[in-house]
Amino acid sequence: MNFEIQHLVNNYPLILQGLLVTLRICAVSLAIGTVLGLVACFMKLEGRGWPYRFAVAYIDFFRTIPEVVLIFWVYSCLPLLFSFRLTAEASGILALSLFASAYLAEIFRAGINSASRGQVQAALALGIPVRVIWMRIIMPPAIRRMMPALVSFLSELIKATSLLSAIGVAEMAYQASVLGSKTFAYVEFLSAIAVLYFVTIFPLSLYVRRANQKLAGKAGH
Amino acid sequence: MFALEEQVEEKRSPWGLVAVMATLALIGVAAWKYVNWQLLASLDFSVVWDYRLALAKGLMVTLYLTAIAGLCGLTAGTVLAALSQSRLALVRWVVVAYVELFRNTPILVQLIWIHFALPVFTGWNTTALQSGTIAIALQASAYFSEIVRGGIESVPKGQWEAAYALGLPARTTWGRVILPPALKSMIPALVNLTISFFKATSILSVLQVSELMTITNRISNAVYKPIELFTAAAVIYFVLGYILSQLTLRLERAAK
Amino acid sequence: MEGSRVETSSAAAETPVVISVENIRKSYGSFEVLRGISTEIREKDVTCIVGPSGGGKSTFIRTLNGLEPINEGRIRILDYTLPGRRKETEQLRRSVGMVFQSFNLFMHLTVRENITLGPTAALKVSRDEANARAERLLDRVGIGNQVDKYPGQLSGGQQQRVAIARALAMEPKIMLFDEPTSALDPEMVKEVLEVIRDLAASGMTMLVVTHEMGFAREVAHRVFFMADGVLSVDADPETFFASPKDERHAAFLSKVL
Repeated sequence: MNFEIQHLVNNYPLILQGLLVTLRICAVSLAIGTVLGLVACFMKLEGRGWPYRFAVAYIDFFRTIPEVVLIFWVYSCLPLLFSFRLTAEASGILALSLFASAYLAEIFRAGINSASRGQVQAALALGIPVRVIWMRIIMPPAIRRMMPALVSFLSELIKATSLLSAIGVAEMAYQASVLGSKTFAYVEFLSAIAVLYFVTIFPLSLYVRRANQKLAGKAGH
Repeated sequence: MFALEEQVEEKRSPWGLVAVMATLALIGVAAWKYVNWQLLASLDFSVVWDYRLALAKGLMVTLYLTAIAGLCGLTAGTVLAALSQSRLALVRWVVVAYVELFRNTPILVQLIWIHFALPVFTGWNTTALQSGTIAIALQASAYFSEIVRGGIESVPKGQWEAAYALGLPARTTWGRVILPPALKSMIPALVNLTISFFKATSILSVLQVSELMTITNRISNAVYKPIELFTAAAVIYFVLGYILSQLTLRLERAAK
Repeated sequence: MEGSRVETSSAAAETPVVISVENIRKSYGSFEVLRGISTEIREKDVTCIVGPSGGGKSTFIRTLNGLEPINEGRIRILDYTLPGRRKETEQLRRSVGMVFQSFNLFMHLTVRENITLGPTAALKVSRDEANARAERLLDRVGIGNQVDKYPGQLSGGQQQRVAIARALAMEPKIMLFDEPTSALDPEMVKEVLEVIRDLAASGMTMLVVTHEMGFAREVAHRVFFMADGVLSVDADPETFFASPKDERHAAFLSKVL
């Protein structure tokens, strides 16, 4: 075959536009997911009572059903159930936010649980106010310890945005398949976006690997 | 978790709970107002039962694809992991490139790429199911190899040295010394990965490979009952996925 | 319990009572760790608590600043009462220092930050004043040159001395030591005991859970023996080590001496 680079040259602005949409969706879903995830995380940290049960069910549910199912459900069922309309992008963002919140809640929880019980007791014994204990003793090491998991999840989220092409959100994978069907240069466009995805995600993976090695090294000695 | 308040002999403040309840109530009221009651009343889940055979067939394809992911992933992944320990730098680099390529691009893109590029490069026209099977096998091999590699690296250096010192042939070193403990230590991770491939098979619906999600979509389009059908699909995925992940948890706890 | 309480042998019997423990009980599930403990501690008392492992020594000392909630009974300590409201418990803890077996330093903060966090965050002491306190206290415990290191860069003995300085920076009226040398390598025990001995000499009211019998004999005004959740012996060191009160006490002494 011949790889017709001309198609890419002619249409690259659309692909880049798609990349921007992809990144925008990621950013917004991550933001909403963080807020919802924090709420779910603290409800689950209660350890008992009905907020705890609700959080456990919520997290298990959204972690267990496939993203595609969630996306289709939000896109085609929510507008019917409630009398309001959502754009494809908005329903995509909502679905990914729910997905993200469940995963982030577990990441936050693991980070907070990794805080040293002894250090918290030492801080309590000094009579340091609970708010300061959270800010100065629990959170800083917790954040450092959950960074690899967070970044790793971010790369999962970027990959998951490609699924929104199935409901017609104009992100990168959608642009590529539309351009592909227009020009029959599928392979060219798909290769191009594969490269773009790779360039975006690979640095994140590298960071995760480095950070995990560093953490493992610290635990080692 | 050490609830901080647990340390003090005082009932904890109820304000957090009140705030959460108020928020939920507010959302509830808003939702209540907007709920399309007419539609809600007309929901008819018997359609799911009517199409039970089609859905079951879809589920079989989903399980078939999951099995492919698990089996191909484990075998090819083990081979890749072994190759990644090769003394030849070239081999190591090829393996790394392959693994990173598949791990750092979305499976959806790989899937469509394979579906369209394979005929172009090989002249072999694949059906959607064939493309899907190939894509999921390739991706699974990359992901599984990472886990197997981690398992292999968790085997203490002393085991290798002992095997070398005994002059064991490579096949025996791998088959009898390194892999058995490595595989044992990574069983939970392997099962978890298989569960995530169970979920990922739904992505193949973009190529209409007649797994559960494709079937759900088709029926929903035909009878226009999206809520009933997508909810049913979500429940099926959830129940199976949940049972599997709970089993893994049990397994992990039992192992400890 | 009141009637059966052992007569105290305080070194300074005239000083005011600063801790009074009234029949406290504490259980983990069905296991009762503290089975009705009552005692009084006077100002400037140095009390060592000894006894077999699992006898409730650590649990007891941790109830005194509310780290272990009690199920029954009452503790009066300085002007505070336990169980009490959270704000008051916080206040109490600012006047009662604690040193842990495993140091529990804040590993992500420097030595200086470890020491200044309490005074600045809890006592609203100015940063300059807190820094001055930190430097003075580190000099006092003999590691004035380690201010800007992280705890991970210090030896166990140095870490424990930082932990003591951290507690002292709050200018506490009472110090609680929970097996302060048990996690240390033998060659570092001495340097930490030295610091605690100096502190005792300065007139600080102290309770020390310890396995160092030599230290207890030398420094303590009173020695408590705790076994099976009961405080069964309260005596001055000479009496404590010379004339066992009952069989458990005798068995314990024969093992450790």
